[in-house]
Amino acid sequence: MTEDEWRRGFAEAFIAQARSDWGVYRLLTEQRTHDGHTLSVCHELHYLQMASEKLAKAYRLRDTGSAVDELLSKHTGFAKFVGPFFTAVLKDEYQGKDAQLRGLIKRARTLARQIEKLAPATDRLATPENAEYPWETEDRVIAPCRHEFPSLDLLREPGGRAFLNLVERALENFQP
Amino acid sequence: MPLGFGPISSGPIRSVTKDQATHDLAMWHFGVEPDLRQVIRIVADNEDVADEPIKLLEVNAATVATGSVEPYAFAGSASVPFSTVIAEVTPEEFERIKRNEIQLPKGWSLAKSQLFERPHAA
Repeated sequence: MTEDEWRRGFAEAFIAQARSDWGVYRLLTEQRTHDGHTLSVCHELHYLQMASEKLAKAYRLRDTGSAVDELLSKHTGFAKFVGPFFTAVLKDEYQGKDAQLRGLIKRARTLARQIEKLAPATDRLATPENAEYPWETEDRVIAPCRHEFPSLDLLREPGGRAFLNLVERALENFQP
Repeated sequence: MPLGFGPISSGPIRSVTKDQATHDLAMWHFGVEPDLRQVIRIVADNEDVADEPIKLLEVNAATVATGSVEPYAFAGSASVPFSTVIAEVTPEEFERIKRNEIQLPKGWSLAKSQLFERPHAA
């Protein structure tokens, strides 16, 4: 297998896994909305974080000279992906709607950072809140399943839903 | 398949030159990214090859610092009929790149590049 085939193989596998994670995210969101919120929000956010990270890695691996080994071991990526993604693929669609796109990109950057922080290995000292493992704060230990993650409330508002729709399009339309 | 998402090896019919498309893209990015300070076009030795993508290093105060340069590849679109690779860094990261403390991606060099400054009106 050549290095290019290796890279494309991983890009294809990352997008496949990202789409699968996204499917579980949507399923859990729907389930939580319809069952009276008995499911904790952390579970759907966990899948959203995993889908986002793998999406960014798939685009990163596509025809760039990135070191594959390094990418496989890194948690970060999504927060630096959204700006280039939105400006690269939405230019024609948002012609004449610069102000609208500015607002969308600003919200996307904020949400992407918050989503990236849901991974337990990201910025653990500064922001210990994550979707998987308990953390300690102000002499209390918090379980993710008992946390509401208010920093991501925006996801349920129109601006957040627009952001999620574009992430979904990025997942659906990617080709290695 | 919406333009911009697809495989980067193929693209729409080219009605503008790569230089013009790069300029237009950079100016448009300044218009929609208020914290974008500079766009540096990386010019490859084989820049004239049709499939060589437009490569932009964007210095943006709104991005997150990671201590690395992370390029993402996108397909061409109707207005930018060339595949594009974009990486954004913070102003502090860009200073570190210039001091060789952060490495650029393989094949990228500031020695052969084109600088777009933020227009005063943007």
